[in-house]
Amino acid sequence: MNRVLPTIAAILAATLLQVGLAPYIAIGGVVPDFLLLVVVTLALVEGPTAGASAGFAAGLIFELIGSGPVGPMVLVLAVTGYMAGLLHENMFAEGWLLPLTVLAVASIASTLAYGLMLDLLGVGGPFVLTFFTKMLPEALYDTALGLLIYPWLARFLRQDRPMTTFRRLA
Amino acid sequence: MRLPQPEKSNLQPGLLVVLVVLSLLLTTLWYREGAGGPVHKVRLGVQAVVAPVGAVGEFVTRPIRGVFQWIGDLGVSRSQLEALRLQNEKLRNTVATLEEARLENLRLQSLVNFAQSSKLKSLGAHVIGRPTQWDRVITLDRGTADGVREGMPVVGTLGTTPAAAAEASAAGGLIGQTIDVTAHSAKVRLITDQSSGVASTIQSNRAEGIVHGSIDGGLSLDFISHETTVKAGDVVITSGMGGVFPKGLLVGEVTKVTNQPSSLYQDIVLTPSAGLGGVEDVLILVGAGPQVQTGSGE
Repeated sequence: MNRVLPTIAAILAATLLQVGLAPYIAIGGVVPDFLLLVVVTLALVEGPTAGASAGFAAGLIFELIGSGPVGPMVLVLAVTGYMAGLLHENMFAEGWLLPLTVLAVASIASTLAYGLMLDLLGVGGPFVLTFFTKMLPEALYDTALGLLIYPWLARFLRQDRPMTTFRRLA
Repeated sequence: MRLPQPEKSNLQPGLLVVLVVLSLLLTTLWYREGAGGPVHKVRLGVQAVVAPVGAVGEFVTRPIRGVFQWIGDLGVSRSQLEALRLQNEKLRNTVATLEEARLENLRLQSLVNFAQSSKLKSLGAHVIGRPTQWDRVITLDRGTADGVREGMPVVGTLGTTPAAAAEASAAGGLIGQTIDVTAHSAKVRLITDQSSGVASTIQSNRAEGIVHGSIDGGLSLDFISHETTVKAGDVVITSGMGGVFPKGLLVGEVTKVTNQPSSLYQDIVLTPSAGLGGVEDVLILVGAGPQVQTGSGE
């Protein structure tokens, strides 16, 4: 129970940031995804089950506050959370490189999967153009934000366990 | 990252399967249920709740955005730039209106032009939500409580406040159309959204086509044959075909025309008449727009 409350608080905070801040800090039309940041962080510190569940909830929120179809991002973030969570047991490298690499890969993979889902549903755009103008920049943006947010968020989510990651930063 | 005492993860592939199936069911339900279905209603409820958060974000970040805007405008004083923008927009709209009126007189047709469009009842609104990379949709601070309904056209304004906007008539360029409307907020799909389509006319030669948005935010005028002479600077207005948008609203200006022999139609690139990037105040034409365009996910 003591882990559930920080998780809910993190998702709610990400929702507020996604609605109230993200659109206004867009760079070149690219909006960061705070919900993805929370899902990946949660998956890395809690494991695949929590990652998938948080991904499902965050995906649902993302689509309910958006204007596209409801469902594709739910699927994408649930799978992304689960896959990222599989690395939970394999976190061996101390430092910032691995979690940020996971975040970058998760961001590209989730936006790619989301773009494909939209294409399948007939509401997507030109794939190559979307990849270079939207997906790749968003992954870079999310990773840059992850550098700032991940250490504090990871510590917030697992207050019961000391973490050595980002010791100098956080 | 290293957790000091790695925990054994509780792998539950069954849970993932359940979540995947649930999400697929949700997607199916979304497409099957129609606009009045439970998921659509839940979305409207959620959007009604989060709309004030967007308004707060817009208000709080305004000074910061102003600083970045100022940095971008270095070299020209802010007041001078604003005055020039305002003057330019007024002149362009005036020229377009006069040209439309002249052509109407020549053809002895009683068409709806900007002067007539200005008789449409309009409502000023603030932008409280910005587009994402996946869809070009903005949120306004007006909703059903103010008389806004789905399918109403939205145009840019000449003024900088809702009061000034209301007095400025509907002379601004077309911005988009309301899609999801709650009691105190409304989402507007911009004409630059990839799922947007606006029946339009080139003002100089009356050639009709469809203005489409794109994933990168560009505008193109499609279905104009090679026989039609189109040049940069031509003004494009709504044609009124289909009854979605009133006739005569400024849509954009032709900036590039490419004729590919292998293509059935010309590739025509437009610049939107309304400055969609940093739009802050708009007019909703509450006396128009009986239909809703089919958009993404609808």
